[in-house]
Amino acid sequence: MTTETAKSKAPADWPTLLKDNTRAGGQQKNPARSPEKVVWQYRAGSSVRSAPILDGGILYVNSLNGVLHAIDVQVGTSKWKFQAPGQVHSTPSLYENRILFGCDDGKVYALDRDAGTKLWEAPTGAEVWASPVVLNGTVYFGSADAKVYAVDARSGRQRWAHELGGRIYSTIYATGQRLYVGCGDGKVYSLDASSGAPLWSTPTGNGIVSSPAVTGDMVLIGSEDFFVYAVNSGTGEVRWKYETGLGIASSPAVSGDLTFIGSKDGFLYALETQTGRLRWKTAVGDVVTASPVIGDGVVCIQAGGTFALDIGTGNIVWRAAMAGTVQSVPVLAGDMIYLASLSGEIYALR
Amino acid sequence: MDRRTFVKGSCLGSATLLLHGLDPAMRADEAFPVTPSIELHGLPGHKSSPLGMPGLFPGRVVELRDPNAIVGNRVSQPIVRRMLQESMKELTGEESAHAAWAKFVEPHDIVGIKINPSGAPACCSSPEILREIIASVQSAGVSARNILVYDRYSFEMDIGSYQALLPPGVSVFGIQEAFAGSSGYEPNIYCEANFFGEWETRSYMASVVAHDVTKIINVPTMKDHSAAGVTGALKNLAYGTFNNVARTHRTPHSFTNPLIGMMCTVEPLRSKAVLHIMDGMRQVWHGGPLTQVQDFIDQPGMLLVATDPVAMDTIELEHIESKRREKGVPSLWKHDPSSITTNSNDFYHDATKNLFFRQPGHVAAAGKLGLGVADLKQIDHRKLSA
Repeated sequence: MTTETAKSKAPADWPTLLKDNTRAGGQQKNPARSPEKVVWQYRAGSSVRSAPILDGGILYVNSLNGVLHAIDVQVGTSKWKFQAPGQVHSTPSLYENRILFGCDDGKVYALDRDAGTKLWEAPTGAEVWASPVVLNGTVYFGSADAKVYAVDARSGRQRWAHELGGRIYSTIYATGQRLYVGCGDGKVYSLDASSGAPLWSTPTGNGIVSSPAVTGDMVLIGSEDFFVYAVNSGTGEVRWKYETGLGIASSPAVSGDLTFIGSKDGFLYALETQTGRLRWKTAVGDVVTASPVIGDGVVCIQAGGTFALDIGTGNIVWRAAMAGTVQSVPVLAGDMIYLASLSGEIYALR
Repeated sequence: MDRRTFVKGSCLGSATLLLHGLDPAMRADEAFPVTPSIELHGLPGHKSSPLGMPGLFPGRVVELRDPNAIVGNRVSQPIVRRMLQESMKELTGEESAHAAWAKFVEPHDIVGIKINPSGAPACCSSPEILREIIASVQSAGVSARNILVYDRYSFEMDIGSYQALLPPGVSVFGIQEAFAGSSGYEPNIYCEANFFGEWETRSYMASVVAHDVTKIINVPTMKDHSAAGVTGALKNLAYGTFNNVARTHRTPHSFTNPLIGMMCTVEPLRSKAVLHIMDGMRQVWHGGPLTQVQDFIDQPGMLLVATDPVAMDTIELEHIESKRREKGVPSLWKHDPSSITTNSNDFYHDATKNLFFRQPGHVAAAGKLGLGVADLKQIDHRKLSA
């Protein structure tokens, strides 16, 4: 098995949503101390509702007005921009020399990552908010038309499409021959990666926006029914579920024996991955919809501002208030932190 | 006078009448600034509809409560389905919910569903109720692609996860991405007034309302409002259709009365808003419209249905006033300078504090403009039991 988007070429790279296909959200050696200064600030010109990704010294950020920005992180200036025909909520991902993202015009676009020019586009029946994921030369993504698509990563030609029971905003987790995804119909699905045939589905009590993480033989995901679920990746059987105070749009990140996830009740939760037992929870804002990422001894989450919490205790170690975002995810890269804000500002902090 | 519907003269008269005729608390407030002239520019040549506010059943409000409709902050899909069906039959007198819905929407309609996500996630239009409304509209022959679920700010829609939770095929969107900007608004339909010396004195109507939809189903929530007293059917329509409205209140004063009602008279908004379904699963009795503090949010499991937004909001106002009396906190009508704070944290955690002198008189003021019935004695308030 190869997960092309999952492999970071360098410790500082961050090529897809929550860094890589493990959804671990980092786990590299990063400083736990508070950033001390803004190295540069970049104005995207529109709100940012997706997460930035980093690779080869270029930060790729989609802004809501449909512009994909390639930013040279050394100087904080634009290398190129690409204007998509519709709004963009999708986090980009990388595959070889391509950068992929979904658009509200119902298409997934592949661009040449050096030139910023379009290589192909793959149509669906409705907006694509999820991030495309690449496995063995195939791009997988869900659409609001309720279908999961598989397209050739080099040509964009469709290999198969399979309809589920609701809109899909969850980003697929691809591993081995299986795909895992949450759906607006409230079910967690496992599909055969080669055909799209459903292997199992497990109902929750409301729709799912959260993107799954897989660790061992467990699929971890949040639901709008307030629960975090751990289901057996082979059978879909619910191993455990943990109730939070409101719906969950955040996606889990796994580190060691802990799973971290935010809830709209304003708390960040640390749950023991094997049992679902609460290790700690910490209030970080009125609402948490973003996903956590893990640095060296800290877990970072954006909820109004950006918070770093001690991974063992949940105590807030530091907070940065300049990024007023509710949806984005910070990128931790060496001694740098990159943040995108609801107001469209992108910051490089050291 | 150009082709625009220019109603400055009549509205000025109305505003003056309202300020001195309907709100006794305001009369005692000597320092309240004079209401400026308000100009309304509607869609030229628009023919008003008999379905428009106050609609087919002026003065009638159907109220249905079911304590099991919301348990542990979760709304029951099957229970709200039955509540909506029963309420619609009672409102219209029809034998079936299908026939009831057919009074308001036809297969060729493009139906806008105006939701209220502004208190998300603690108190906002419930996706469960929206799913039932969508299913009902589809049962009347409207295809999913002709159903638009919308509000002003897309980031608030995102917090509510409405995009993912509603059926495929339905459009779900915010008119504007953030607080700034005027794209998505019709430049020739607006309200103009200068309340506090602001640089932008116009509020424009959303293009989706002006041009795209043929009918609007309004889905407000049941909340107090720091500036307007309550936010219900009228405010959800007015301040969710026009942009640049926060400028109407500046501590401690608020011009939500008379602007809310006046905005609702502007065509084509008035004609297109044919049905109001108030989501009273949750009830915010202090801290609205944005509070996330659960101490001030009850869960009465209530649904109100009406074509008359004034009658609906009058009933809502009664419910919230009743709850505030029960909790021993000041009336929404009380204008006490010592209650005013500029500290939002104080406001959100102390039910005796407020940011503005609330203006619940905006509901009765809208009644004076012909939008519905504000006199409780004249309201046909039909309470159904679960």
